Amino acid sequence: MPAVETKDLVKKYGKTTALEGLDFTVNEKEIMVLLGPNGSGKTTLLLILATVLKPTSGLAKVMNLDVVTQPTKVRQILGISFQEARGFWRHKPPEILRFHATICGVPKSKRESLIEEVLKDIELWDARKKLFMHLSGGQAKRLEVAKILIQRPPFAIFDEPSSQVDLRGKRTIWEHIQKLREEGSTILIATNEVREAEYLADRVTVLDQGKNIVSDTVRSLKDKIAGGDVVELQVEASDTDLLESLEKLAGTVKVATAGENQFRAYVSMAESWVPKMTDLCYKKNLRVVSVRVTEPSLDDVFLHFTGRALEATPSVG
Amino acid sequence: MEWLLFGLQLAVYGSLISTLVTGITDYLQFYAVGFVVMMTFDIGSHTGRHFVEHAHEGRLPYLLSLPIPRRTLFLAITLQGGVELALLLSVPLFVTLLLIGNLTAISAAAALATLFWLGFGVAGLMLALSFIAFRSADVYAAITAAVSALIIRFSTVLYPLIFLPPQYAGAALLSPLTYGADLVRLFLGFDPSLLLDPLFAAAILTALAVSTLGLGTVLLQRLVEGVKSG
Repeated sequence: MPAVETKDLVKKYGKTTALEGLDFTVNEKEIMVLLGPNGSGKTTLLLILATVLKPTSGLAKVMNLDVVTQPTKVRQILGISFQEARGFWRHKPPEILRFHATICGVPKSKRESLIEEVLKDIELWDARKKLFMHLSGGQAKRLEVAKILIQRPPFAIFDEPSSQVDLRGKRTIWEHIQKLREEGSTILIATNEVREAEYLADRVTVLDQGKNIVSDTVRSLKDKIAGGDVVELQVEASDTDLLESLEKLAGTVKVATAGENQFRAYVSMAESWVPKMTDLCYKKNLRVVSVRVTEPSLDDVFLHFTGRALEATPSVG
Repeated sequence: MEWLLFGLQLAVYGSLISTLVTGITDYLQFYAVGFVVMMTFDIGSHTGRHFVEHAHEGRLPYLLSLPIPRRTLFLAITLQGGVELALLLSVPLFVTLLLIGNLTAISAAAALATLFWLGFGVAGLMLALSFIAFRSADVYAAITAAVSALIIRFSTVLYPLIFLPPQYAGAALLSPLTYGADLVRLFLGFDPSLLLDPLFAAAILTALAVSTLGLGTVLLQRLVEGVKSG
């Protein structure tokens, strides 16, 4: 039985459809990452599962509890770390965590030691005497994550958990999320950061325009990209025919422009494709500035399944 | 701060104006009650606006995600507003009752109950206007400020209805403060001939509180549901 299940889930905001018949599952004790651009419906889905929003139609269950008919029971087993850290502006981090811990039923005997432990773990101990409104964006975001680390719910939701956080802070947050899963929590994360998804995900669901495009492990998703190799190429001068010529080379699956005089080619057998490409450039009298062979990223996965780049996708609501 | 403002307003402006107003025995007492009613309006409207801001800025979704039933949450928020109102009004009301010479438990309780009812009605009114905030917070702030000014200006907070020119008196009957102020004054022993019928005033206040709070809650819930998110 999946820990989270949605069937034909629809959410409309007036005339805008945020979720369009979404079918989706999260298995118990796994980290599922929802990957999609802004406006793809990620936050809407999270808010429905957290019972903050009601779906327009369809079914959504958390640990076999219906989010519409059993919302209080659902809230008792989940915790959500919001995308925007909105706090009690005139309160300090320990006070905010104490309130959260009290409401979520953390025993009084453990509360203070747990708050201290989590504040130290998440590197907020030095900021414990600051009012929320004086915290930096990164500190406020870490405090938002800390709420869940205090609560340790069976089902934890994180909406862009490391946005606005510096690199070291990101790594700390990711490690704590993994630890939470090791302790038995099921975790759902929404992000548009590919690195975060690659680091954390057991499985990834690609969400686009309110639809589940594909769900699988990172490895399987990458394997689904035809060709298997990605060649990033930069030439010195522009050539209007180069894209077309590259597409005609044997072994080319797809070529996309990746900037001025830059291309991203999805190819089979990069080791035989690259010499053909350099030969082509030589014949066109084009100097090759750089060539880099990589494996596909989740950006490529998104591009492959939606036809659009993750970062360039427009917001639809 | 509110208490200091009340003290200064009463000591300076209230004393001066009471020397100019004739026709009302000891206008300072009348003015003191009026100022307490205005404070109630300010606190009620602030509570309502504050709640809307929470919804608009994102604290409400956090509260809605906590493992407590919705009814308990809204009751807690209402109680918090009530306690704030009682605390902020305690000293001004005490001073006013002393000034009037009617410091009894019954008069204090009746006046406070009326002020509470008025406060809930005003908070509900601000909630009912919340749909504007979801389109523009600035427009909401401007409209609520304008509505507040009109409601205070066209009311019997500072002068009895029978003293007002006909064009003002008609408008004053539309202000909830008129009914709150007159009912409080009745409980505090002011001349009933200067005041509205107490049953009518109580009915209007009740209708206001129930309808605006009900409408506000429904509207707010629908608007929170309808807020676009990523």
